[in-house]
Amino acid sequence: MKTKIGIILSFLMLIALSTKAQIANGREIMQQVKDRPNGDTRYAEMQMILIKKNGSQRERKIVSWSMDVGKDEKKIMFFTYPGDVNGTGFLTWDYDKIGKDDDKWLYLPAMKKTRRISGSSSKTDYFMGSDFTYDDMGSRNVDEDTHKLIKEEILDGKKCWVVESSPIDKHEIYSRKISWIRQECLSVVKVEYFDKLNKLHRTLVVSDIRVVQDFWTKHKMEMTDVQTGHKTLIIINNPKYNIKVDSKLFTVAKLEKGL
Amino acid sequence: MLHYKLLTIFFFLTISLLFAQDEEEIEIRTKGFVDTYHAFRIKTPNDWLSSRTRIRGEIALSRQNAGLFISLNSIYNSILPDKTGFELREAFMTYSNDEWEFKIGRQIIIWGIADAVRITDIVSPMDYTEFLAQDYDDIRVPVNALRTKYSNSFFNLEVVIIPVSNYFVLPIDKNNPWNIANNIADECLFNLDKKPEQNLKNLEFGGRIAFYLSGIDFSVSILRTWNKMPVFIKEVSEDDYSVLLTGIHKRMTMLGADFSFPIDKFVIRCEVAEYFNEVQSPIFNKLSLNSSTNSLIGIDWYPGDDWNLGIQYSHKYISGSLSDVDDYRNTGMGTVRISKDLFRNTLSISSFVYVDVAQGDIYNRLSADYSLNDQIHLILGYDLFSGCNGMFAIYKNNSELWIKAKYNF
Repeated sequence: MKTKIGIILSFLMLIALSTKAQIANGREIMQQVKDRPNGDTRYAEMQMILIKKNGSQRERKIVSWSMDVGKDEKKIMFFTYPGDVNGTGFLTWDYDKIGKDDDKWLYLPAMKKTRRISGSSSKTDYFMGSDFTYDDMGSRNVDEDTHKLIKEEILDGKKCWVVESSPIDKHEIYSRKISWIRQECLSVVKVEYFDKLNKLHRTLVVSDIRVVQDFWTKHKMEMTDVQTGHKTLIIINNPKYNIKVDSKLFTVAKLEKGL
Repeated sequence: MLHYKLLTIFFFLTISLLFAQDEEEIEIRTKGFVDTYHAFRIKTPNDWLSSRTRIRGEIALSRQNAGLFISLNSIYNSILPDKTGFELREAFMTYSNDEWEFKIGRQIIIWGIADAVRITDIVSPMDYTEFLAQDYDDIRVPVNALRTKYSNSFFNLEVVIIPVSNYFVLPIDKNNPWNIANNIADECLFNLDKKPEQNLKNLEFGGRIAFYLSGIDFSVSILRTWNKMPVFIKEVSEDDYSVLLTGIHKRMTMLGADFSFPIDKFVIRCEVAEYFNEVQSPIFNKLSLNSSTNSLIGIDWYPGDDWNLGIQYSHKYISGSLSDVDDYRNTGMGTVRISKDLFRNTLSISSFVYVDVAQGDIYNRLSADYSLNDQIHLILGYDLFSGCNGMFAIYKNNSELWIKAKYNF
């Protein structure tokens, strides 16, 4: 009897240890994805195409600069198209520390005014009517979700890890997401987001991943809302790394000065 | 006249600077819009209160550190024919490097953090030709100024010199449905020509230092200026049949401060300014200079799901004797702003309400802005004026339904 109990306990411990190892492994993978080298400073021109189910399209164009400050990131972006938002600027000091709200300022050229906006509220809102949330557009602390490595899989001929992540904050718009991470470049290539009812809500497909200045770079991201048929395509043009910018670029003075 | 000549010389200097060096091309940026706006009174006689079409063109030229910016309006106004024509909105030259920026010319200067309420934001006056029934940024009157800004990673320091002041534009034309004369009394005559002399000792000057830090923004500002909204002395006119209201502007000094900080989904904004020796509205013709304390507290709420709410309360306290003053010692104004974006930001519904706490009158601008495509917006709105007394109540017969179409290029 004692032997049987011993075997069962050993088996349960093994399962527990194995699960713990998987969780640690999933987190480790996501941390590696976040820590993937991308230079200390970055520049990109972004084209965002919003596509309705009936095929009609709207477009936004943005230029952005970003800079790492320790684990934090400072980012400034300006809209260049369409005309009604041309010149609108957005400055973010994105903090990695969980619980510390980002600092955000918005500059509206028509009003000639900069206003501080809440750093915590808009993360789950959709960015400029697209299918990407503000959180999708920024960088998220790995420990804001719990991660579990589900399996390894070949996707488009490339070996991928498949990791399931569940948010700790229940106010997030997804209940869980499943990410396919290409092992070769530590880049997310596909994500499935599930809503609160655990139904598939959005699918992100990343393509045209190429090396630019020794850094793996995503050039196309397509997010589809599978429930409405609406999708958003982001095309990254002219990405540059380790460009010469200093911290003065990421200030309200520059935001007001514009491009 | 002198300042126009100086401005012309500076323009030619900047243009020659831009074109003189040929090793680097001039960067040219253009943008603008065409809009058409029509509003009709919902009360009898249901006439048109506004009907205008406008083309705005903006051009920015830059080469190395020098730049030139011009913004022009071409307007056709069928209600106010005097307003038809070309209007130079802004025209200024810039010279800047990483830390310094010099801006000289006709420009709009906006200070402070209040929304559509003026506390420290008293550099650029307002054009009340159609009162507040137009976009708030269209109401701004540019000033001819020399503006220098020094900025580093922690603060912006700004110094402003305005050689010749500009003042509020008030509607006194009897044909203007927004004229203040008709709403006061038929027997009133206005004289707005009594402006301070254009000389060196009457120039405006001041500065603002603003800090933008992690978790908080704050600024301190000072301005030696004028009451740009005139107060009126009342006298019987020479014909003995009417009252002559003469607009008066007097020197005053503003010392102000503001700060804003986020707390979770809220942003708290506070602004305060002391107007030293501000001329107050006289009961008759005896002017009184009293200091006033002007303060504002505002809360913005970003609850998510494309909702945006903001509430503000501003208060004015006039100190000293009010025996010759035609104002309350304490007055207050509240504003409420609510907006919601729908259908992936193609439709934006908003409401902005002013509530005059002292008089009880209100003004509410409701609008629905539909983005037909990337270039064209169709906007439908309703302006409600209500109350018995106060600045909004005088327009209680001007509640209007309006439509606007805008093409951006």
